[in-house]
Amino acid sequence: MNLEERIYDQLRQVIDPELNINVVDLGLIYEVSISENQEVIITMTLTTPGCPLHDSITSGVKYAISHLEGVKDVEVLLVWHPAWSPERMTPEGMRQLRG
Amino acid sequence: MISQQMKNETTIKLPISFILYSLIAFVFSQVFLLFAADDMINGVFRTPAIWSAAHLLILGWALMVAMGAMYQLVPVAFLTPIWSERFGFFQFGISLVGVTSFAISLWFFPTFMAYTGAIAVLGILLFLFQMLMTLRKQAKKNILTLFVGSALVCLLATITLGIFLTININFGISGIDHLAILKTHILMGITGWFTLLIFGFSYKMVPMFALAHGFSMNLGKWVYVNYLAGLLVTILSFIIENTVIFQIGLLLLFVGFTLFTYHIYLIIKSRLKKKLDKPFVFSLLSILFGLLLHLFGFLLSLFPGHYSLFGLLIYVYLFSWIVFSIIGYLYKIVPFLWWTHRYSKVIGKSNVPTLKQMINDRLSNPIFTFFIIGVAGIVGGSLLKNINLFYISQLLIIVAVLVFAIVIINVVRK
Repeated sequence: MNLEERIYDQLRQVIDPELNINVVDLGLIYEVSISENQEVIITMTLTTPGCPLHDSITSGVKYAISHLEGVKDVEVLLVWHPAWSPERMTPEGMRQLRG
Repeated sequence: MISQQMKNETTIKLPISFILYSLIAFVFSQVFLLFAADDMINGVFRTPAIWSAAHLLILGWALMVAMGAMYQLVPVAFLTPIWSERFGFFQFGISLVGVTSFAISLWFFPTFMAYTGAIAVLGILLFLFQMLMTLRKQAKKNILTLFVGSALVCLLATITLGIFLTININFGISGIDHLAILKTHILMGITGWFTLLIFGFSYKMVPMFALAHGFSMNLGKWVYVNYLAGLLVTILSFIIENTVIFQIGLLLLFVGFTLFTYHIYLIIKSRLKKKLDKPFVFSLLSILFGLLLHLFGFLLSLFPGHYSLFGLLIYVYLFSWIVFSIIGYLYKIVPFLWWTHRYSKVIGKSNVPTLKQMINDRLSNPIFTFFIIGVAGIVGGSLLKNINLFYISQLLIIVAVLVFAIVIINVVRK
């Protein structure tokens, strides 16, 4: 498993407590970029601007990645454009949501 | 991609302080009403016990809980941190003393009500100042700002008129129409302040809790225009004492509420989360109650011989629209506050409970059923002049309020 795969695997441990679905299946992770000096930048969004769980989820994402082997530093970039849409969800996330 | 980094960490102590106080006021307001049974079923609403219970319910429960919820929701909905948390605690203390002493003095020490009312008013003015300072920092105003801002203006109008009423009762002011001011005070308080506020925050919370996507907000401005026009026309009818204008005013309010209901229906229709939480469904149900009550209000306005029923209608409006909405939303707000306090630092580190696991929502159905039967029984008891039915119904409501308070308090023990 390469580092990017391990990062995505780890991000699946970060659960949105309102929806009980992880941030990857919810389609909140837009991009994972890893620099040559092992700095990771996670570009992500939330389902709604001003989500009350804003700080909790972003800090959870940061923590989940920061202790991975091969990661020196993590930065979480929260973006609102492009806005989140249901098409970004994985089939598994959609299945859980529709319950 | 445009990045936005901001810190809107919810401060739990302030909203929780307001919410815990409001629960105590809620219980006492309902116990007080037990002692006003005779007056309630005889349609005599302007008595010290009812004034006291009504102000404890409206100021002590609904207003205090609304203020507490706004300390949490404003940073969320407007992406703007609260201007000063320390000032918020000061405002909480003044409001607590003012509202409690005012409700007690209305019943037991009427000669003091101008002074205790002044403390309560000061608490509310401090809150309005806090909100003014907060909202003016909002970078990008939207339709929510319009609803919530207008609600705050209505709150200011309500308390200003309340001051006039208390001064007039205590000292007498020549040349003012006490009844017109009283009617405007009530209208601005329950429809202007609470309804506009619930409209505004519903536009944020309904899409969020239902995970609605791809809906239009265009209808919101028509809701606002119709409802505001309804408020202004109804106030005009109080001033010029014109029944037809009154009927037009209530029709406009009904149209505004109908548009809001339809808009919420469209938002819910576009939701991704198919199974909604029970308490949230209760908040949505309260919208239907509000719609029906606006219809009844308009129909009642067509029969001036039965205007005495407006007192009962106001009671039902307060309970089945405003109180029920707040109760439904509190089921979401309180678990979120406590979850943030307890678990936000460990998300991603260890297993954390979901928000739904933070509160016992199995009790929500019996609580809501008791509330609905209780309110229906109060209406039946009042219309049939049956005091036993009134007592049984009021006891049902008290049980529901107590269980609800325990459910909420249990959240903060997790």
